Amino acid sequence: MVKRFLSGIHRFCILSLVLAPVLLTACGGGNGSNISESYHDPDMDFALLRTIAVMPFENLTTDRLAAARVRNTFMTSLLATGVVYVIPSGEVVRGIKRAGIEAPTIPSADDIAKLAAIIKADAVITGVVNEYGQVRSGTTTANVISVSLQMIEKESRKVVWTASTTKGGISTMDRLFGGGGRPMEDVTDAAINDLINKLFY
Amino acid sequence: MRPSMILSISFSIRLGFVFLAVLIGLSAGAGPNYAADEKASGDQSRLKIAVFPVFNLSATPAPLKYIRQQMIDILKAEGEILIDDQRLEDAFTKHRIRYIGGLDPSAALAIEQETGADAVFITSLEHYSDVVPPKIALTARLVTTGHRIRILWMAGAGLAGDDSPGLLDLGMIENPDTLMRIAIQRIMTSFAEFRSTGRAPVDAAAPQGKHRPKVIFRSPVMDPAISYAVAVMPFFNLSERKFAGDIMALHFVRQLLANENWRVIEPGVVRQALLKGRVIMRDGISLADAGSISGLLAADLILSGKVMDYQDFQGLAARPKVVFSAEIFEKNSREVVWTAQSHNRGDDGVFFFDWGRVNTAYVMASEMVQLAVEEMLEAE
Repeated sequence: MVKRFLSGIHRFCILSLVLAPVLLTACGGGNGSNISESYHDPDMDFALLRTIAVMPFENLTTDRLAAARVRNTFMTSLLATGVVYVIPSGEVVRGIKRAGIEAPTIPSADDIAKLAAIIKADAVITGVVNEYGQVRSGTTTANVISVSLQMIEKESRKVVWTASTTKGGISTMDRLFGGGGRPMEDVTDAAINDLINKLFY
Repeated sequence: MRPSMILSISFSIRLGFVFLAVLIGLSAGAGPNYAADEKASGDQSRLKIAVFPVFNLSATPAPLKYIRQQMIDILKAEGEILIDDQRLEDAFTKHRIRYIGGLDPSAALAIEQETGADAVFITSLEHYSDVVPPKIALTARLVTTGHRIRILWMAGAGLAGDDSPGLLDLGMIENPDTLMRIAIQRIMTSFAEFRSTGRAPVDAAAPQGKHRPKVIFRSPVMDPAISYAVAVMPFFNLSERKFAGDIMALHFVRQLLANENWRVIEPGVVRQALLKGRVIMRDGISLADAGSISGLLAADLILSGKVMDYQDFQGLAARPKVVFSAEIFEKNSREVVWTAQSHNRGDDGVFFFDWGRVNTAYVMASEMVQLAVEEMLEAE
């Protein structure tokens, strides 16, 4: 009887140890946020794209420089892949002025065709920074980023690729031990790497 | 004597005079070039030096005159020939020289002609804080005057009072003057070594691996073995720190000078070319601007970039933060041939007892740039 009772306690302890992290993860939102989606045009041969222009990103956050920071990281990382040539931002600005584009963050198909002809780009990438900065839940804080990008091809003027990603956020470890989450630059790098992986793979 | 013979003799005499004039002209023309070569080659034992007022990039009130005087005292003690302050002041007034953060071609000629200086000693104060623990960051360089402007030597020092606190904080420096003297002494020791050996000494401390660039790319078009002339543009400043763009450019100039194969164009010359070419950088440099600047400066490479963060905080618990990206345009290919992105905080990789902590943005940025440049120049 006693033996069976002890065996029951033993089983309960093991079960508790196994279930505790699962329950904590479920309650705590897991290892931060990791949401991502993408679309590739099945008719598009992406190997033909050699030169890409990245337009200024739309900023929907309260951080004035969020879009510039994310765009700069994205441009450097995309060029560093060595697969495509990314037109420098100064040249893109010159093209925008010459093409007379009034809203460079949300260009029309005509604007993109004009710009691509001026700066000799095969495709143009536009983007939106939805979230950038700290999120708070109770006493816990962490950094989060949410970015959406789309690529428009010069000839067809069609959207050939879109992707979005959300990285960072409050993890179980942050809830348990605090610490403020990962630095914003690391979270941004993770988001940009995710987007580039979605573009090429 | 026949008239034709007279004509022939007078022609020979005239030819002789012309030949003599050409010889004199050539020797006169060779004079200044030889002097410039001597200045630039490392035999600078008889250099006359003009010490420029300290250029304040710290955006805070600082004892600039005191810093300059300390440097002058050390230079005099080392036996350097210095140009009298009044003569330098007169040259500044006469030629309306206002910019003291660099040496442009017109100022270089004016200083040489008016004061007889062979080189100028330019000092930039990049950070100054007298709040405990005090912090200071200084950069100095020696630039030749006249027609051939070249940076002969460049060094910097960034210090914080709590860099080496030691047991029971006995090593803490709380007096800003003490810290300033140590920083000046460090720079002047490097200068003295350069004057005795003719070579700029390399930074003694090896940079920490954690300060490597996070993203780096080099195109096969750029071959580090080729001798390039490189112009470093002021960085596009997106940070809250005033002059961060100029400070970051100076970091790159200093680290690129370590590569003797490349010729780094003096920032003052670059600044004048930007003014002359009326280049206004909007979100970076365009290809058209890069083309015109490389034409004006005879530069093969143009290095530019953006500073996102360059923060130095006050107090004991404060940690600096530096975020920047840089890129290089190549003149012939008209393409970006190198790019890097780097970000770090002072407490990156610090877990126990603040071991490995960096207290000034200057030191951290210096290491970040050094590692980026090392990877740029690395052979395939």
